Amino acid sequence: MSADLAPPRRAGPPQASGDPLGGPADVPDRRGLDIIPRWPGWSHLPRDARDVLFLLAVIAWTIAPHFAHLPAWCLGLTVGVVLWRARLAVANAALPGRWPLIAVLLAAMVLTFWTHRTLLGKDAGITMLVVLMVLKTLELRARRDALVVFFLGFFIVLTNFLYAQTLAVAAMMLVSVWGLLTALVLAHMPVGRPPLARAGAVAARAAALGAPIMVVLFVLFPRIAPLWAVPQDTLAKTGLSGSLRMGGIAEVALDESVAFRVRFDGPKPDSQRLYWRGPALGRFDGVEWQRVESPTGRGAELEVRGQPTPYEITLEPSRLPLLPLLEATPATRGDAPTLAGIRASLRSDLQWMTARPVTERLRFSARAYLDHRHGPRRDDSFYLREYTDLPPGYNPRTLEWADALRRRLPEATSEQLVEAVMSTIRSGFTYTLTPGTYGDDEGRHAIDEFWLDRKQGFCEHFSTAFVVVMRAMDVPARIVTGYQGIDNEPQDGWYLVRNSHAHAWAEVWIDGRGWVRVDPTAAVAPERVIQSRALRPQQGAVASAIEAVNPRLLAQLRAGWERFNNQWNQWVLNYSRSEQFDLLERLGWRSPDWTDLAKLLVVLLSTGALAGAAWAWWDRHRQDPWQRLLRRVRKQLEVLGIETAPSDAPRALAARARRALGPNGEALAQQLDALDALRYGRAAIARPSRAWWRAFAAAASR
Amino acid sequence: VISLRQRLRAWFESRLPRTDTWTLTQRNVYIVPTRAGFMFALVLLVMLLAAINYQLNLGYVLTFLLAGAGFVSMHMTHNTLRGMTLHLKPPPSGFAGEALMMEIVLASPKRLLHGVGVGFEHAADRSHDVFVDVPGGGQSVAHLALVPPHRGWHEVPTLRIETRYPLGLFRAWTVWRPASRALAWPAPERPAAPLPAAPASAGDSAATRASDSGEFDGVRAYRRGDALKRIVWKKTAKGGDLVSRDHTASVQRELWLDWQHAHATGTEPRLSRLAAWVLAADAAGIAHGLRLPGVELSPGSGTAHRRASLDALATWS
Repeated sequence: MSADLAPPRRAGPPQASGDPLGGPADVPDRRGLDIIPRWPGWSHLPRDARDVLFLLAVIAWTIAPHFAHLPAWCLGLTVGVVLWRARLAVANAALPGRWPLIAVLLAAMVLTFWTHRTLLGKDAGITMLVVLMVLKTLELRARRDALVVFFLGFFIVLTNFLYAQTLAVAAMMLVSVWGLLTALVLAHMPVGRPPLARAGAVAARAAALGAPIMVVLFVLFPRIAPLWAVPQDTLAKTGLSGSLRMGGIAEVALDESVAFRVRFDGPKPDSQRLYWRGPALGRFDGVEWQRVESPTGRGAELEVRGQPTPYEITLEPSRLPLLPLLEATPATRGDAPTLAGIRASLRSDLQWMTARPVTERLRFSARAYLDHRHGPRRDDSFYLREYTDLPPGYNPRTLEWADALRRRLPEATSEQLVEAVMSTIRSGFTYTLTPGTYGDDEGRHAIDEFWLDRKQGFCEHFSTAFVVVMRAMDVPARIVTGYQGIDNEPQDGWYLVRNSHAHAWAEVWIDGRGWVRVDPTAAVAPERVIQSRALRPQQGAVASAIEAVNPRLLAQLRAGWERFNNQWNQWVLNYSRSEQFDLLERLGWRSPDWTDLAKLLVVLLSTGALAGAAWAWWDRHRQDPWQRLLRRVRKQLEVLGIETAPSDAPRALAARARRALGPNGEALAQQLDALDALRYGRAAIARPSRAWWRAFAAAASR
Repeated sequence: VISLRQRLRAWFESRLPRTDTWTLTQRNVYIVPTRAGFMFALVLLVMLLAAINYQLNLGYVLTFLLAGAGFVSMHMTHNTLRGMTLHLKPPPSGFAGEALMMEIVLASPKRLLHGVGVGFEHAADRSHDVFVDVPGGGQSVAHLALVPPHRGWHEVPTLRIETRYPLGLFRAWTVWRPASRALAWPAPERPAAPLPAAPASAGDSAATRASDSGEFDGVRAYRRGDALKRIVWKKTAKGGDLVSRDHTASVQRELWLDWQHAHATGTEPRLSRLAAWVLAADAAGIAHGLRLPGVELSPGSGTAHRRASLDALATWS
């Protein structure tokens, strides 16, 4: 029905005689043979092709942060499909049918299941999401398809935050959101070939104008606890997850984010004495270390000595059900942490558990006794048997080595055996953060390989090997995970403990003394413990170059970045319920709770809505200023007894004035003629001038 | 339920004034979320749940950023239409069953407007809407095809101007009842019956030669009143003076197209035949008159005469 529709296609097949009109129809077929179509230049691309290429670029940019953790097949599929779709767009070729896509989707589902052993959960979900997204680009026909791509895109942006919420990721994702919105705007510009920049400007404008709403909602939207338990696989960032698998990590990815901040009311203890205790792992299946779920009967039997060390902790949300407290913080009143809103208890393995995962920032104070003893003092074979257990058939050479040592020192006490093993570690082992993987394909015999062959690793290698050797000699032993040390320099009085301070050490049970801490890592890399250096990898090339030129500059850059990052962490990432309540208190609420937040939010939003409605009302009654002026003029003329009609132009009014008043009305009529010139004449002005109205009023009053 | 809805809609439309110039204000621009808008709200809800459950502050930021952008887009969608002025040019006449192109002028006082769709309110689907961009401070024209089903005067159907720009989450529209009417001429009979012979009484021998329509016998100097298509442009270009084709028929014959001679069954087929004859006579350059019961147009030729004849056929009752 529309004249804008393209002229109807010529009926019948294009003639073979090189008819110029028959050309466009068969060009795609000819080009379809080339693998890489001829690139016509960005400005000569048809509009559809340009939009598709832009959308593909945005999608690739959005998925890019996932490349590190997507399975290889998914990565290949993504790259392949995106490149192929780009080729189809440039060559203006037909999209594949529905059935091949469904086949690929099914294959991808099978592969996902094969890779992740499930279709649910975070990793499998993200893999599927990426597959759906890239396959959907092969189906971009109608506007509805485009919308599905946008919505999937926003989801993928969100999933990126599951892995990292750093400034860099945030900046990347901001670009993604902008790109997706731009593509959405483009999809709603049906006419012609609108420039990308214009669509981008509109998208930016929508986002920028929406920013105040975002800020209000972000600041005031009540932060509530998770509505249902999230699968734990999303959470294990460090060794505190309650299990440990030695040798599986080739290289430690250092996470410099803050685990908690600590302040001491009194002198700061030596940092080598600061062990922040997490889960103790006593059960070993040959590959993985697990917690002893219910340590039998016996209490912690904690016995403290000397002066307490009072301290205060601001714990970042770890999403783990535990508090990494300083060893040893007893459960007695006055020493135990004072917590609101979350229940915490001391396990018999001296670990502080909470009733639910810590999902908000917690701030509390407690007192620890660095000098302490715990565990049963006398032999209790029923309790201790668990801690000498080794699964048969694993690490036979290490067991043999331990047997040989035991035979060499038949009379040795447990302390002497510990000393013998520690001296072995001290001679000939190397501390490194990039040890490579250990063990065979299933992770077995990793300790054999570490202890007897390669002899390099970091804390988890040393502590696990140490515990296995001690158990092989019938000395009860277990691994303790947690944090060790603090940053050397405080920030505003608070010492940082970063996730890179995560550590694993060992405890052996000694008759008469109970559990005694042994840190084999300290034997090989004392600086790791004594100077409390957080695990720090080799610097990159750029950092080394800067350091070579100007060491101060690098330090300054790093400090500036840290400060900036710290602000980001403080104000964006760690903004939680307690900050919301602080804000309300500053605004004058006394003991606010979440209903106050909701009320304030509702009041602000409805104020905004009312303001909008008021503006709409005003706008509805707003008139063109010329019309308003004419109405006033007509009113004035009617006072003088001159009849007017709503359709009269100033010139017509002048004529009426002349007719009605004769020579007396000449001044008035001249003013009206002047108005006519101002409105319609050669020197017309955009808005009525006040000077004219004054002159007119003067003429009318005469 | 449907009939109630239709009745409501009819009642709503009957309240609208009929006008050829329609200025869009807060009062006559309506807006609702589209299906995509509801989908977007659902996506935001799911994203909010994810942000809560994984305690992702950046998830909150993203969700609220999109919510803000979506809210702003509502105003942008509404603003696209508000302030625009629509004007319907007098629709041309055409034959029944054939499309006649209406020109709708859209004027935007301030901003450049994108993706404004113009279509009929009662169209079965919106895929025939014509989309235009309107330059700021300028105008653009949308051509809408109207197919009148039968001859006679037709009111221009209610129009709908709508937009989903910029994000497609909301749809703003206005309903406009133009005042203009379009005249549809009877559809000419196809294939056309041969023109009736001139009455015998007019009868010199030349008349018999002329039932064909385009053979010309020679050329002569241009005389005022000759139709443009009779001018021999090639000769004119060479010589400089206007030269016309000379039809013996056209000067010698005067043809009456009479209701009585259109032997077809029924009123409309007769009118169709007469319309076809008017066209044929006009194409042949034969002066023709029209006789209908109660209406008589004296013989003449040219565009104006043709138009008058067709108008008479269209409005005869």
